Amino acid sequence: MRKLTIDPITRLEGHGKITIFLNDDGSVANVYLQIPELRGFEKFCEGRPVADMPQITPRICGVCPEAHHMAATKALDDMFHTEPTSTAKKIRELLYSAFYVTDHTTHFYILGGPDFIMGPDAPVKDRNILGVIAKVGMDLAGQVLNTRKENHWIIQAVGGRQIHPVFGLPGGVSKRISEEDRQKIEEIAKRDVAFAQLSLKVFGDIVLKNKAYVDMIVSDAFTHQTYYMGLVDDKNKVNFYDGKVRVVDPAGKEFVKYSPHEYLDHIAEHVEPWSYTKFPFLKKVGWKGFVDGKDSGVYRATPLSRLNAADGMATPLAQAEYDKMYSTLGGKPVHHTLATHWARLIELLYAAERLLELAQDKEITGPNIRNIPTGKPTEGVGIVEAPSRNFNVRSRISGNWGFLSTSSGRASSTLLITWSRPLSAPAGQARVFECFKRPKH
Amino acid sequence: MKPRVAFFDFTGCEGCQLEVLNFNLEIVDLIGAIDIVEFREASSDHSDDYDIAFIEGSQTTDRDVERVQKIREKAKILVALGACSCTGGVNALKNRFSMEENLKVVYGDSAKLYSTIPTRPTSAYVKVDVHLHGCPPNRNEVISLVKCLLSGKKFEQCHNPVCVECKLAENICAFERGEFCLGPITRGGCNAVCVTGGRKCWGCRALVDEPNVNSEKEILKKYGLTMDDMMLQFKLFNGALEVSK
Repeated sequence: MRKLTIDPITRLEGHGKITIFLNDDGSVANVYLQIPELRGFEKFCEGRPVADMPQITPRICGVCPEAHHMAATKALDDMFHTEPTSTAKKIRELLYSAFYVTDHTTHFYILGGPDFIMGPDAPVKDRNILGVIAKVGMDLAGQVLNTRKENHWIIQAVGGRQIHPVFGLPGGVSKRISEEDRQKIEEIAKRDVAFAQLSLKVFGDIVLKNKAYVDMIVSDAFTHQTYYMGLVDDKNKVNFYDGKVRVVDPAGKEFVKYSPHEYLDHIAEHVEPWSYTKFPFLKKVGWKGFVDGKDSGVYRATPLSRLNAADGMATPLAQAEYDKMYSTLGGKPVHHTLATHWARLIELLYAAERLLELAQDKEITGPNIRNIPTGKPTEGVGIVEAPSRNFNVRSRISGNWGFLSTSSGRASSTLLITWSRPLSAPAGQARVFECFKRPKH
Repeated sequence: MKPRVAFFDFTGCEGCQLEVLNFNLEIVDLIGAIDIVEFREASSDHSDDYDIAFIEGSQTTDRDVERVQKIREKAKILVALGACSCTGGVNALKNRFSMEENLKVVYGDSAKLYSTIPTRPTSAYVKVDVHLHGCPPNRNEVISLVKCLLSGKKFEQCHNPVCVECKLAENICAFERGEFCLGPITRGGCNAVCVTGGRKCWGCRALVDEPNVNSEKEILKKYGLTMDDMMLQFKLFNGALEVSK
């Protein structure tokens, strides 16, 4: 038996190692994705002021801190029984849309995409942003860099910082958007929409018109029939910021749609001795190992999964691209893992359109950015869609809560169901829970 | 010959590497002056030949310790990049518990199959030539450091507390808004972005040189806060400070 090792995995946030065991005839006997370390968030949030959770949990991932910040902030809203003001919700979703534009752009052009753009047989040294610049030309590469820069500016202007934002507070946000900034955001959003359309065209030209790529996308090696999960709005359209969690089975039929507080009825974790990460699965189907199919509780929560789990997109241009993808790939659901890149670009377009809608909403510059919590805090749950997965935060609080006090209102314990990385289990499913529990006394 | 620069990630969120990636157009100029030979988050290329090593993240496994020591042997200059490498960062919060407790919460009955060691900053294991504080560090500081290294100049940390930059930004004092701010004792260089964003300083850039202890005591007294309150806040990013240098 031969052994192949990929260590470390590159162009990815998070550490990982892949070991592949080959039979004597060269076929694959087993593959292991190992995550080599414990961070310890599950335990070390204990005793910390619960108001700090939107600052602590983003340190799980510096590529998607906005998602952790938002999930923890929403959990605080719920914990304090305080609905954010309408303006505050829109400001949060505006930042979140700009975040999706940057994150999906980063993924497509810098992290995952270079394998596609440079081609399946490109040398390792060329599979990075510099190789991409050489291949697509400085015009498009300049737009990539500019899109990231402009949307990072939005995140900084609205959220306070580009990495690890600070603006989320229970019941609202910490800062208004000025009319001057709104106008600037509106102009950026218009450019984002055009950039997203251009990116879909690039994908069409480079990938879909190349038979070798298309054969790879639809090949058995990259196809798994699993359950799919994603947040949906009240019309079952994809939503990144709010809604219910909808799960569809491998045939595309709704399996369950649940509210945040019900998540523990539906999700559990499996432990394998060879990796520090744990493997979430659908509790009511059960863990049957690393296999796909209707009897296996393995599910995916990715851009493609969100599109599979929803009935469509909430904006017109993204909806047209959604229809095009499914008609090209033979209807819903799509089980080809590599089509995730296509789905990501459709989401990029949706995020850009939604950003533009919010930037043109006159209420976005309103003065009512926060409802101050006054009720007694109990337990809170918050869910958002992270670009690569679905986050679910559940929080409880102990002690006498004083909102800005540091000596009371501390989290008493934390359960965080960590993510499985993009190559774990059949392919690409991940989900995060963060839970701050009441003490046992 | 251009200096060969390598970025190595240990335990952390990798936001520091992303901050460097976010140089955007500036990075195109930067790579004209240096050769980036290792940058796992953005490139699959790999090299063991480098002059300057940036260490991101803290050391939390035995393997990490061996790895950082090997990097030190090869690098002419070693830079601790960001809070996790400089002071342990949020990872050090786990040091308040036994390692067995940490593992048990996560893995339950299977905890005995896993291991972890207390979080330490990089300086606990190897000599660090430059500390770039912050979670993440300010990108202008990173660029400034690279320029200093290229021109042979000494890199100067910011020696003012965050309060100085906060005043220049004309912010209302966060204490006046009811927040517990660590700006008076935290090293500046961040332009007080968190306070400008409507919040407070969480102390991610570690203790300023020669903090004004008496002034801090007066502030605590004025707002009815205690030293214990302050330490609780300060340890969010600086839990392993006692073993860092």
